[in-house]
Amino acid sequence: MMYELTLIALGLPLATAAASLAARRAGLVKVLNIAGSLLTCGAAFALTAGVLRDGPFAYKWVYLDALSGLLLVVVGLLTFTATLFSLSYMDEEVAEGRVRPGLLPRYYALLQLFAFTMLAVLTVENLGLMWVGVEATTLASTLLVAFYFNRPALEAAWKYVMVCNVGILFALLGTILLYYAQLSAGDGGAALSLAALAGASGRLDPFLVKLAFVFILIGYGTKAGLAPMHTWLPDAHSQAPSPVSGLLSGALLSCALYVLIRNLGVVTAVLGGGFAQAGLLLFGLLSVAVAVPFMLVQHDIKRLLAYSSVEHVGIVSFGLGIGTPLALYGAAFHILNHAVAKSALFYLAGIISQRYGTKQVMRIRGLLAAMPATGAMFLTAVLAIVGTPPLNVFFSKFAIVAAAFAAGRPVLGALLLLLLAGVFAGMMYYTTRMVFGAAPAGAAAGRTGACGLAAVALSLLWVAGTGLYLPPWLDGLLTKAAAQIFAATGGL
Amino acid sequence: METLAILLLATAFLLTRTSRLATAVHILLAQSAVVAAACAVAGWQAGETHMFVAALLTVVVKAGLIPYALLRLVRLLRREREVNPVIGANMTSLAAVGAMVLAYGLIEHALPAVISRDAVATAVALVLIGLLLIITRRQAIMQIVGLITMENGLYLLGLSTTRGLPLIIELGIFFDVLVAVTVMVILAFRLKRSFQTTDTSILKRLKG
Repeated sequence: MMYELTLIALGLPLATAAASLAARRAGLVKVLNIAGSLLTCGAAFALTAGVLRDGPFAYKWVYLDALSGLLLVVVGLLTFTATLFSLSYMDEEVAEGRVRPGLLPRYYALLQLFAFTMLAVLTVENLGLMWVGVEATTLASTLLVAFYFNRPALEAAWKYVMVCNVGILFALLGTILLYYAQLSAGDGGAALSLAALAGASGRLDPFLVKLAFVFILIGYGTKAGLAPMHTWLPDAHSQAPSPVSGLLSGALLSCALYVLIRNLGVVTAVLGGGFAQAGLLLFGLLSVAVAVPFMLVQHDIKRLLAYSSVEHVGIVSFGLGIGTPLALYGAAFHILNHAVAKSALFYLAGIISQRYGTKQVMRIRGLLAAMPATGAMFLTAVLAIVGTPPLNVFFSKFAIVAAAFAAGRPVLGALLLLLLAGVFAGMMYYTTRMVFGAAPAGAAAGRTGACGLAAVALSLLWVAGTGLYLPPWLDGLLTKAAAQIFAATGGL
Repeated sequence: METLAILLLATAFLLTRTSRLATAVHILLAQSAVVAAACAVAGWQAGETHMFVAALLTVVVKAGLIPYALLRLVRLLRREREVNPVIGANMTSLAAVGAMVLAYGLIEHALPAVISRDAVATAVALVLIGLLLIITRRQAIMQIVGLITMENGLYLLGLSTTRGLPLIIELGIFFDVLVAVTVMVILAFRLKRSFQTTDTSILKRLKG
């Protein structure tokens, strides 16, 4: 049953992509896509429910557990909101003449293909196939980043595809080394299978595994946007169409972190925690530190959000590095919270830049006066992302910082808090400038589509709702996912 | 096997010398053909049929479709050549020699037990030289050639340490490489149309 459901979850986006290309008529394409994404989201949630009910599921090349379940929730939810948001956003782009109407089917097909590649990464059992999936996510999303085919979009796409391809080749090198370690250990199990590697962990050559992990951390770290390999990220996230920016930032970075966690489990079972822990803490803190100056002096609203993504990936990496059950719970929760809140912010940035006709922070004034609903939601989403209680991002950040102090690393915890204060200052300074005050005359003419507002409202309801009341199933999922990482990594 | 390794190093070395795009693609074609031959030889020695399939795929994808696509693109770029690399051809060649020495040194230290030492060292050298090309060359085509060189190196590494990854993963990798080159050729084509050049050093508007 679960196997069939997995095939359905993977087949739906592919079928929707093919149907979009065949349908041609804009109205039909939109209906097909929203239906397809809703079903995909449903299938992903059903898989998660199945895992919660029956425990981990392994059959043929499929492996699902609480960790993949958590990520399936992220990707499923974001695929739905991104498609919903696209409906009105892309219509507006067509109306403004930035996108030719004939290109819409291609846009939706690429979007669905992108969703498919991410779902594939989350459902396969094998580190080799996972690599194939991660590489495919880059390729599917490159054409989305380049979608406008104007000069900045081409520049962003070229940097994105080159940097991520080189990074991912390093990950392949690490994966080959892991396979070599597995073969040298005389392990007859399936190549690069998670279960076989876990079973052989006592016999793997520690030196080879350590070498492999260095390349894997650099490789998938590039994909996840960890500093100093993050250089492609602000360009790609700011130049893509806004729904795609939301998916790139919320879903794709999370998928890269997921693959990193899977590899981490294999590596720490052989090496113990210390080595991997040092790497994760270092890259994590560095990512937050690198993002701060760029967020304090930023002129482009989408680049501001992109650097915020670098910061949040850093926070998750830091949480994984601390490695106590509380920190891992925080890291898992933070992946989910950041994904939903940040995608909502990118959607909002899309609405704002369409209505004001600019992405320049300095030219956006009086959001609340000009468009009260969007302005209020933007303020709420920014408050969420910087970690204001009672919104959910606060709780995951708090868990990670508290865990750092509880684990006897007060210096690192204090350093993170200090950096987060810098982020808070940068984000709030620009947000108050944009939200309050009088709107310039003639700004924000026109109307925002209902679908776009609905997508944002849905995300914000999730952000506020899970902050105020964490449903038992979600708490159970997070606890199980954290326990699983803890078991795999041996608590570092 | 040793002969093939020397041939591969020679192609990588030649890549550091050329500034003509079409020549670079032809050298890449030869390099991929040698990798395919190495794969077939290794398969014959090990008596494994799946390696012949991989060799055939290498010929079709990396010595066939990819050079074909690149050459079609190059024909549109008649006046493009690598005019002003970050470091010149002589320095790059020197660095490539350094990469070969480094590769042998790394193998001595990191993988003393490995059987086919020359093949592994060649593989690592190819990866390093490919990376070198990507970093120091400004032409989009040259960067793509560097990327495929890196990929060829990794492929050879897999071949010489583990007799290649399982076929299903290998198939996925081939597919990814093919799509990657298609995507990059599309982008390079658009670069030519929007910027009238495929020299990527003009791509520096986005920062901060």
